[in-house]
Amino acid sequence: MKTTRRQFFQAAALSSGAVALSGCERFISTITSATAVVVPDHLKSSESLEIDPEFHLLSRAAFGPWPGNLQHVKDMGREAWIEEQLNPDSISDAACDFRAERFNTLFVRPAEAYNFKKPLLRDELTRHALLRAVYSQRQLYEVMVEFWTDHLNIDLNKGDCVYFKPADDREVIRKHALGNFRDLIRASATSPAMLVYLDGRSNKVTKGKPVPNENYGRELLELHTLGVNGGYTQNDVREAARCLTGWTVNLLKNSEGKVKQLFQPSRGESFFNPEHHDDGSKMVLGKTIPAGGGEADLERLIDIVCEHPSTAKFIAKKLCIHFVSHDTPDSLVQRVAHEFTKTKGDIKSLLRVILKSDEFYASRGQLLKRPFRYIVSSLRAVAADTHAHQPLVDWLHRMGQGLFQYPTPDGYTDEEAPWMGTLLWRWNFALTLAGGKIPTVQIAANKLRKALDAGRGKSADEVTTKLFAHFTGRQARPYELEAVRGLNNDAEALGVLLASPAFQRC
Amino acid sequence: MPSINRRALLSQLLLTTAPVVEDAGKHTLVCVFLRGGADTLNLLVPYADDIYYKGRASLAIAAPSNDSKSAIRLSDHYGLHPMLKPLADKFHDGRLSFVQGVGIRDNSSGSHFESQDLMEHGDASLDNSAGGGWLGRFLHARAGKNLTPLSAVAIGTKLPESLRGAPSVSVMQSLDDIGIKAPSNKPEAAAAALAKLYGADVTLLGERGRETLDLFHRVSALQHNDYHPANDAAYPKDEFGSGLREIARLIKAGVGLEVACIDLGGWDTHFLQGTAEGTQAGRAKLLADGLAAFDADIKAERDNVSVFVMTEFGRRLYENSSLGTDHGRGFACMLLSNKVKGGRVIGSWPALAEEASDGPGGMKIHFDYRSVFSEVLRGTMGLAGTGSVFPDFKPESVGLV
Repeated sequence: MKTTRRQFFQAAALSSGAVALSGCERFISTITSATAVVVPDHLKSSESLEIDPEFHLLSRAAFGPWPGNLQHVKDMGREAWIEEQLNPDSISDAACDFRAERFNTLFVRPAEAYNFKKPLLRDELTRHALLRAVYSQRQLYEVMVEFWTDHLNIDLNKGDCVYFKPADDREVIRKHALGNFRDLIRASATSPAMLVYLDGRSNKVTKGKPVPNENYGRELLELHTLGVNGGYTQNDVREAARCLTGWTVNLLKNSEGKVKQLFQPSRGESFFNPEHHDDGSKMVLGKTIPAGGGEADLERLIDIVCEHPSTAKFIAKKLCIHFVSHDTPDSLVQRVAHEFTKTKGDIKSLLRVILKSDEFYASRGQLLKRPFRYIVSSLRAVAADTHAHQPLVDWLHRMGQGLFQYPTPDGYTDEEAPWMGTLLWRWNFALTLAGGKIPTVQIAANKLRKALDAGRGKSADEVTTKLFAHFTGRQARPYELEAVRGLNNDAEALGVLLASPAFQRC
Repeated sequence: MPSINRRALLSQLLLTTAPVVEDAGKHTLVCVFLRGGADTLNLLVPYADDIYYKGRASLAIAAPSNDSKSAIRLSDHYGLHPMLKPLADKFHDGRLSFVQGVGIRDNSSGSHFESQDLMEHGDASLDNSAGGGWLGRFLHARAGKNLTPLSAVAIGTKLPESLRGAPSVSVMQSLDDIGIKAPSNKPEAAAAALAKLYGADVTLLGERGRETLDLFHRVSALQHNDYHPANDAAYPKDEFGSGLREIARLIKAGVGLEVACIDLGGWDTHFLQGTAEGTQAGRAKLLADGLAAFDADIKAERDNVSVFVMTEFGRRLYENSSLGTDHGRGFACMLLSNKVKGGRVIGSWPALAEEASDGPGGMKIHFDYRSVFSEVLRGTMGLAGTGSVFPDFKPESVGLV
């Protein structure tokens, strides 16, 4: 009998009582440490009292600096770094690809995904996202992938979504993460995963049942484009739903739960069924869509909602909250909204306005990291070697951010207060990571101390000072030094620094 | 009782094995939120009215009969979904009542988020926010009356909006999970360092950090003993069941629990809702089995515990084209408590709205949800005036407690 990778891991876990790395993973880890600079020989951390501007840029436009990144941005200049990040194809990402692209299920078409077990699909998708965020050189791209994944949230636990999300991740989110907003929304509208998640696939009119399913139509207006206060009415929701009637997806099983003919080539693909389309005229947001439009109604609808002025404001505000602060000055939001209108939703242009603004640099240290960013930035700061096995993924769940598993279509929030109830898990993650106690995750603590000139022979205060600045981009205040002074254990001191309020923020 | 500062209380707790905070948390309110807009028309079945059967050609629950798939008779008008059978005896014992036609009066969007948001915040509209959540404001109004780090507990991983603004809230999945995993195996040293770091932080983050440390100290004292539910209570083996079990544990431990929030999701049944079996029936079974186990487990404490079950809105009377139901308006909520004027369905029927005036085919709203929440807080928790919780709102009498 053929043993799958998963079975192998389960067997290994049962026999050894711990998760073990596969031969392939050990090989990748070895090659990486032999060929790439994991931690430079010498690291200079920030000596400024306030957060260093380059550090700030890396904290927001990347998932925090990997050892050496700070000097790199200083050397090339912030503007040049932003431009480079806005053109991810120009950045080689071979080492990350090596680690993150070896999962079979990432590349399958929806029809083929049915050949895999649901837990495997979920695990590989999660591990891929985590590994990309930690190791990719295309950091801003990964930050935007996370942003749009929440904006166009899909919960793997609903229906057949898990089979379709790998394609949605590739063809919708990653394809358009730094592209054009209208293209992104258009791709999402007929993505099989979205058609299942928001019930678009059963939005149809038939002779007996003239009532459309409004679920997707509503969220398209409320969450994806105009925003809840964007000035649409209940009638607009219904009319939008009418435009979308007939778009559906072929599932593996029919509604009676029977497996369909396996030779159906379009299984798992979306398509337009004119028989289920309401072809009468519609009026959406004051614009008439004449009768007889058929599948072109969808294009008209997407144009109308993406060109609506509320959409420019809504997306500008959401990006500003994510990258700048909850109280981003209106001046910046308006500039971003204006850019959205001017460029017809060119995402790179919006980011350029935000990341080069004074408002962005004035907001240093004002955001709370969400669990994903907290975990990824910790791993990056200590140059961790991981293959994102379950023991690491478990921490995301404890902190309340299991990837692709947020149940409702609004996606994980950027608000801070809801995340503060699980601080204990953040502390325990930091302490466990620092103690080298997360199975299959290795950290480069000694190398890091040495590179920071904070190795053997240095006083505890000197070590703390260097590590603190390395983690947070600024000098420790006296009380911060004093707090760690009572700890005799190196790992514990490192963990407490990662658990400190300064590292919870970015 | 002389005021005891928190630190003195903690050191006292750490020294005793069975800490009991006298006076605090005399009554515990457990709030179960059915997320997604539960179709209460199929939970509390108006079997006596033909309009229900006309609107639901394939989704209606049959009128009470000997068939196990039919509704369980409560009165001449109403029956329970067959999966809610474990709750029927509580209704007949006079400990369980329903309020029909509850909701947000001027909710025009029909959005899950806006509705949940309004309801959990207890606001009249999003533009007119009182700040914080309704349970948070309630706890805030009582601050100083022996509030503890475990006065408010949310089961899960995220703070519910309703508890926003509470002086302290603990979010947890299980009591046994609480601890500080220091590499040195001596959590006190790490806790002391964290206390200094978070103690100097004047923002909300610092406050939450200090509360987390308090929680750690308090719960350390409760750990290391296996829990056996009383009266052979069998909780469902899922997050909802284990969450209710942890709430029962906290109640029995006497740590001053006043408000516990727990969610049960999966009620957004736009598609293939099912009837006596199927999607909604599975959720209904979990709900009833969980509540019945909890009720059995806390039998000795029943005088001091109330369970309130709500959702953000009901669903339309008529089914949609995909054998589901779309967002409606009013819903039925329920209260299980020894304090309830029990065994009744409050609110008049027929409760159906006109198509055009009140949104398409939803249940008419007889009671502003804040009137019901106010009465729950007054009747179970002894809140004197509701002005601090629902400012600028005059609750009408519902007659629930």
